[in-house]
This record gives sequence, C-alpha cells and structure tokens, in this order.
Amino acid sequence: MSELIPTPDTIPVAWGFFQFLLLLTFPLHIILMNAMLGSAIIALYARFRTGESWTRLSEELAKVLPLIVAFTINFGVAPLLFVQVLYGQFIYTSSILMGVFWLSIILLLIVAYYCTYLFDFKFAALGQAGKWIIGLAVLIFLGIAFLFSNNMTLMLRPEEWSRYFQNSSGTILSLADVTLWPRYLHFIVGGTAVGGLVVALFGKFREKRDPELAELAIGVGMNVFTGLTFIQIAIGFWFLLSLDKPVMTMFMGDNMLATILLLAGFMLAIGVLWTAARKKVYLAAVHVVALVYVMTFMRAFVRSGYLQEVYSLDMLKEVPQYSPMIVFFVVLVAGLATVVWLVRKAAEAV
Amino acid sequence: MNYPVWYLPTIGGAFFIALIAITHVFVSHFAVGGGLYLIFAERLGLRRNNPAILDFTKKHAKFFILITLVFGSMTGVGIWFIIALASAGGTSLLIHNFVFGWAIEWVFFLVEIVAAFVYFYTFGKMKSGTHQAVGWVYFGAAWASLFIINGILSFMLSPGAWLESGNFWIGFFNPTFWPSLFFRTFVATMLAGVYAFLTCSFLRDGELKNTMTRFSGWWVLVSFLASIPFGYWYLTALPAPARDLVAGKSPTIQMALDYGLYAIGVVIILSLILTLIRPALNVKPVAFVVMMAAFIFLGAFEWTREAARRPFVVNQVIYSNGLTAADLEKAGADGFLASAKWTRVKEVTPENLQQAGADIFRHQCYACHTVNGWNNDIVPLTESMSYRAMVSYIKTIHEKRYFMPPFAGTDAEAEALAAYLVGGLHGKEMVMASPEGESMADQGARIFEENCSACHGYDAIAPSLAGWDADRIREALDHLSQLNEMMEDFTGTAAEKEALTQFLLTGGRVPPDGAVLFEENCSMCHGLAEIQPGMSGWDRVKIRQSLDNLSAINEMMADYDGSTSEKDALADYLAAASKAGDQ
Repeated sequence: MSELIPTPDTIPVAWGFFQFLLLLTFPLHIILMNAMLGSAIIALYARFRTGESWTRLSEELAKVLPLIVAFTINFGVAPLLFVQVLYGQFIYTSSILMGVFWLSIILLLIVAYYCTYLFDFKFAALGQAGKWIIGLAVLIFLGIAFLFSNNMTLMLRPEEWSRYFQNSSGTILSLADVTLWPRYLHFIVGGTAVGGLVVALFGKFREKRDPELAELAIGVGMNVFTGLTFIQIAIGFWFLLSLDKPVMTMFMGDNMLATILLLAGFMLAIGVLWTAARKKVYLAAVHVVALVYVMTFMRAFVRSGYLQEVYSLDMLKEVPQYSPMIVFFVVLVAGLATVVWLVRKAAEAV
Repeated sequence: MNYPVWYLPTIGGAFFIALIAITHVFVSHFAVGGGLYLIFAERLGLRRNNPAILDFTKKHAKFFILITLVFGSMTGVGIWFIIALASAGGTSLLIHNFVFGWAIEWVFFLVEIVAAFVYFYTFGKMKSGTHQAVGWVYFGAAWASLFIINGILSFMLSPGAWLESGNFWIGFFNPTFWPSLFFRTFVATMLAGVYAFLTCSFLRDGELKNTMTRFSGWWVLVSFLASIPFGYWYLTALPAPARDLVAGKSPTIQMALDYGLYAIGVVIILSLILTLIRPALNVKPVAFVVMMAAFIFLGAFEWTREAARRPFVVNQVIYSNGLTAADLEKAGADGFLASAKWTRVKEVTPENLQQAGADIFRHQCYACHTVNGWNNDIVPLTESMSYRAMVSYIKTIHEKRYFMPPFAGTDAEAEALAAYLVGGLHGKEMVMASPEGESMADQGARIFEENCSACHGYDAIAPSLAGWDADRIREALDHLSQLNEMMEDFTGTAAEKEALTQFLLTGGRVPPDGAVLFEENCSMCHGLAEIQPGMSGWDRVKIRQSLDNLSAINEMMADYDGSTSEKDALADYLAAASKAGDQ
C-alpha cells in the first residue's frame, strides 16, 4: 500500500510551525462552520413556526448568515493550505480519487451561498417560499460536510487507494469505512449544537435592543445546544470506539498526551452541560471554544495514528527559508489590526 | 507519475481549469478595479452633492459584493481545488515553495471581506471621510491580493534566477513580475468600467445614466491606453522560448491572440461610442456585448500566458504532465512504468502493449489531450500517422515541437504508446517493419552489427553475395548453419529478417524514401491532402528550395534539416504528389 503514496515536496520552515498554524486556524473554521450550520437550521426551523417573533428571528438570522458563510470559507482556506503542506501527498491523492465529488463542493457552495443572500435580501418577498431556499442551503451544507468527512477518512487509508485501478473517474467514496458515519455525525451534530449556542449568543447581544427576540433566540438556541450536546457525547464515544485499535488505545493510556486530551475534553464537555443547564451563555461559549481546540488536538493524534506506519511529519525534508514566514506574521498582525479598526468604525456607524 | 490521474477522457482536467480560471480572473480583476471605481464614484457623488450618484454607487456596491464575494472568492478556491485535482504535482510544488505567499494572500482576503462588508452595510450611515477610508482599505487589500497572486503566476511563466537559488523572493520578484503586475492593474481598472456599464444600463434616469456611462467609459479608455506600454514590456520580458511561442510558433496561441485582438477592438470601439458620442446608447444588450468582449479578451490573454510556458507548468521545472527532468532521466533508465507509482502495468510485454500504452497516455498526454472529446482531441490529431511514424515522432516529440514535453520512458514504452494511439484508437495495423523509429536501413545495419559483425564485416561477405536476390538471402538466414558450421541460424522476427535481408542486398546504401520522410517529419501537423492546394503549380525545383525555407511559409514550421539525399527524396515525393493533385 505504501508504494502508492506520492513523494512529498520539501518544506521551508520546521514542520512544527505548520502544525501550530494548522491547529490554530482549523478550530476557528470549525466554530464558524458550526455557527453557519446551526443558525441556518434554526432559521429554517423558525420559518416553519408561526408567530411574528419566530419570523423576526428567522429574518435576523438571515441577515447574518451570508457574513458567516463568507468567514467560514475564508477561515477554511488557511487550514486547507497548511494541511496541504504537511499532508499534501495524502490529501491530493484522496481528493483525486473522489475528484467529481470534491470539485462539486465549489458549485454546491456557490449555490448555497447565493441561497443565503437570496434568503436575506428577499426575505419578505419570498415569504413562506423562503423555507425552500434556506432548506436547500442547509441540505447543501450537510452534503458538503459529508464529502469532507469522506476525504478526511480516505486520505488516512492508503490501503484503500488501489480502488483507483478499478475506478479512475473520481467517484470513489469511503462509505465502507467504519469511522465515516461517527465522524460525520460528530461534526454535524456537534456543529448544530454549537450553532444553537451561537444563536443564543446572538440573542444575548440583542437583549437590550429587542428583549422579546433575545428571549426566543436564547431559549431555542440553548435548548438545541443542550439537547444535541448530550447526543454528541454519545456519538463521540462511538467515534472513539470505531477507531482502529492502535489509534483508540492511544487515548486510553498508550499515549500520555492523547489520554490527557481525552480526559480534558470529557471534563470540558461536563462543564459545557453544567453551564448550559444554568443558562450561562457566555461561560458555556468559553467552554465550547476550549473544547473545540482540545478536540482538534485529539484529531491530530487520530490522523498521525492512522498514518504512523507509513508516515510521520518529521519525514518531511526542510530546506530552510524563514524570511517569508516572518513577513507573513507581520502581515497577519497588521491585517488583524486593520480588521479591528474596520469593525470598530462599523460598530460606531450602526 | 507521483500522483494518480483523475481520468475523464472525453472532458479532460484542462477543460475544468480553463473554465474555472477564466471566469475567476474576469471577476477577480473586477474585485480589484471595481473597488477603486466605487471610491471614485462615491467621491463624484459627494463632490457634486448628488444623491442620485450616491444611490447608484450603493447599488453598484451591492452588485459588486454579490459578484466578487460569492462568485469571485468561491471560484478562487475553485482554482485551487481544480489545479490540485488536475495537476497535483505542480500544485504541490507551488504550495510548498510559496506557502507563506499564499498565507499572506489569505490575510489580505480576510481584510478584503471585512472591508467590503463594512463598506456596503454602512453606506450612507458612516461619516463620508471614514467611509472613503474603508473603501481605500478594501482596494488596498484587494490590490495586495493581486500583488501576491501575480508573483506566483508570473513565477510559473518566468522563474528566472530562482532556478539556481530556489530563493522565495527571487522567484516571487521574477522577470515578468512588474510588467505583469501593472498590466493586470490596468486590466482591473478597465474591467471596473466594463462592469459599471452594465449597472448603468439598468438606470432609468436618463441624465444619471449619461453621466455614469461617460464616467465609466473613461475608466475603460484610460486604462486601456495605460496598459499598452506594460503589455509591450511584458512581451519583451518573456523568456526566449515563450516569446517564440507567442510570436507565432504555437498555433493555439495564434488563435487566442486573434480572438483577443478582435475582442479588445469591440470593447474599445463601443466604449469610444458610449463615452464620446452617445452614452444613451448604453442599453442592456450593448453593455452585455462589451462585457462578453472583455471576457473573451481576458480569456485570450490568460490562455496565451498559460500556453506560453508550454511544455511546462512551471517553466523549466515541471512539465505540463507533472514530470520533472529527474523523472525523465529515471524513466529513460528504469522505464516509466516501473518508476511511476500510479500505473496498472509495470512492464511492457507483447501481451499488454495497448494497456501499457493507455497507462502511459494517461500519465503523459492526458494533461492536455482528450480522447474523443472536443478539447485538443488526440484522435483527429493522430489520424494521418502510421505506427512507424508515431514511434519516431514520440521519441523526438519535444525537438520537433517545442511545446510538447519530451517522452519519458524506454523505447519499448514509446512503442507501447504508439501501439495504443495507432492500433488502439485508430485500429490501424502496427507494422513492425522497423522498430522504434529506425528506418528500415538503419535497423538492418544495426542487426548486422549486433549479430554478424563480431565475425565478419559486410565487405568480407559482399563478394560471396554477388548475384543473390532478396528471396535467396532471406531463405539463407534461416539456414546459416548449413552455409558455415560456425554460424547460427538467424532467429529474429520476420521484420528483422526482412530488414537484414535488405541490408545484405544493398550493403546499407538504401536511397531514402520520400513517403517515409514525409510521414516522419510532416504528418504530425498536416496530411498531404491539406498542403496540396497550397503547392498547386509548384515544380520540383521550387519544392526543393522551399524545404530549406519552410519557416518563411509558416512560422510554425521549422526548416527541414534532413541530409541532401533526404531533401531530394522528399522533394521528389512532394513533386509527384503535387503533380498528381493538379491533374
């Protein structure tokens, strides 16, 4: 199986920098993706309910959805870049094997993105037809997540790659992989849960201006969040147990750091449920951000665990050139400062 | 060969790249120039204290957001997706070498999004000075994105001194970086005017429509004039092979340039009319025609730039099919199939000839050629070639036509590829009369050298052969041991026996065959029937002379470099064909 793995290119700085940047940016993408998925689902649900305040909740969510989509995409670019640097030989290959599906993501996302704008700009004019528009967007988001889960699984299974010799038209999925469904559900159930929390936060921000809407948003958001988090914990265990044994046992004592992460994740999940039950929205949000980071680190262990027989990051050859990275960090700081200025000016104006 | 090939034979990965990339650049340049346009349109409204102009600017900003933020950013990600699918090796090289360039571009992309949202959602609600500043932040970030991408794109065309140093900055600020940057900047501001024509065409207020159409027209015309010197500088900065391709050595570039010139002509003429003569003429169909023409112009430019670096995806580093010079060397020594990771067949055998050829086609040709598709379809392109000509052509493909990558592999693999193309796709006979591109005479000489010359040269046996005819020689090869006990019967293939017989009959002094020479040197670009009308009335002398000056007839042809006797033979053949054609 390892003879199919392509030879990787050299990297300009030590791999640890890329791992750091990957683990820094990926959780931000996930949190935004969660916000996008959850608020789209709740906006859809609200459109099914009758009553003026439900309509208003749907309309208010419609206004922020296109923005969340934009930032979800933007924050997806960075981790996809860094994962290509570290795992390019795996992810390029698996992407080619599922090329038709992988490329279709672009088209699907354009459609879903325009749906969110249509749902926003034409909310009143669409009326009840808006359900179909935002429903289509939700369906596409769920579909894209499924394709991502397939690729992230397929890239870790070089032993599956020889299927290419039966099918080279780019329509391979990893449906037979036992980790596929728990992985997928872990992302979308967890994602919708966190999306619920984001809707609750959205309510919190509106508490003074529009108490009625705020109460509704906080109520529905926290209910979704709490209910789905319970389910999410069960799926998390399913996911853990579905992993190949050597990978699973890393989290059960074989690897100290991985085990600590699992325990920390579990404790944070308890903390999330505790704060959620007491309707402490901000505190729950802090727990969730920490939890997403912990789960991302665990995911990195899963990835390296699956590939450990054929690849580890220190196999990448470094041909050092540090100055571009320094310029990147300078630009990043300047860029973030500019963003802060822009947001401040916008907040003053509206 | 390092990566699998996503194989959709009738469509081809190149089609998706072209489709996504050309629509993307048409929007992404607008995302740069259009940002500047918004600032100046808003300023015009503020200076004239004209709410109608401000209202127009806000509407245009909405259109701008919907086009650039959704379609522009998604197709940008789409290019990244499709190049990784269609050309994983090249993409990996660009990602690994320029990872922090891409990362910097990601930061500018983030600032761009935030600034665009703030600009649009606070229109009319923010202090005008601050709002203009937000516009400038947007434009700065968008132009900086162009700056970064331009560095990487121009690197692919002209890596320059990076080839020796591998230094990021040298690769980034490569020989075509600056001309390309300024050229693209003015194309961006030109497109700002073109897109604005469209928004203007929807206006009902006649006076406003006239004002804004004129304003937009100046953007097109001034930008066009400003882009000309940078376009010229760009051309002169091209590396020599690319300049030759653009100057006429590549048929596809010639076609693209023709389309591009007509298209920009339409853009400029209509813009002149709308700006200087009748802005009221800016109705939806007219604006749409200008837009389409600008799209074709930009598509032709990008096509030319891509095609000019052929046969490379990164000039001088990695070929269009993902192979590097090191791969080529390895494939020549160990065999392509044996050194490639993603081929079904690992070795050519007489049984798997076509399958091996199909594998090789997939990895070495499919990057640019479809099979029975409409994008650079290999089937009609190889229609007039025989197996023998194909084998010979494959081995010298890069020398014969610079824009094709050299073949990577052994002689047996070249034959397998030819077998797939000629035998498999066209169902033609695969005559092994001479293996892998040797003329029959060369083959006979080689066989004699390999099998006989260790004991006796030709001259030593020539007297004994006097008076023998071909049949007798051919017969004797099977029974050499009867002629002389020290000899073994010759056990080559029928074709080899035939070649050896011919050699023994003539002593290797076989006159060149014009038909074979035509096949080997000309038929990959044109059949006899296609050139007959052009040669109508030519006598042999004129044909013979023209062989030395083919480049004067058509820039895409090279002067024929055969020996004098080969030139004579080819001239004889063509003269006979021309005469037959005239009758």
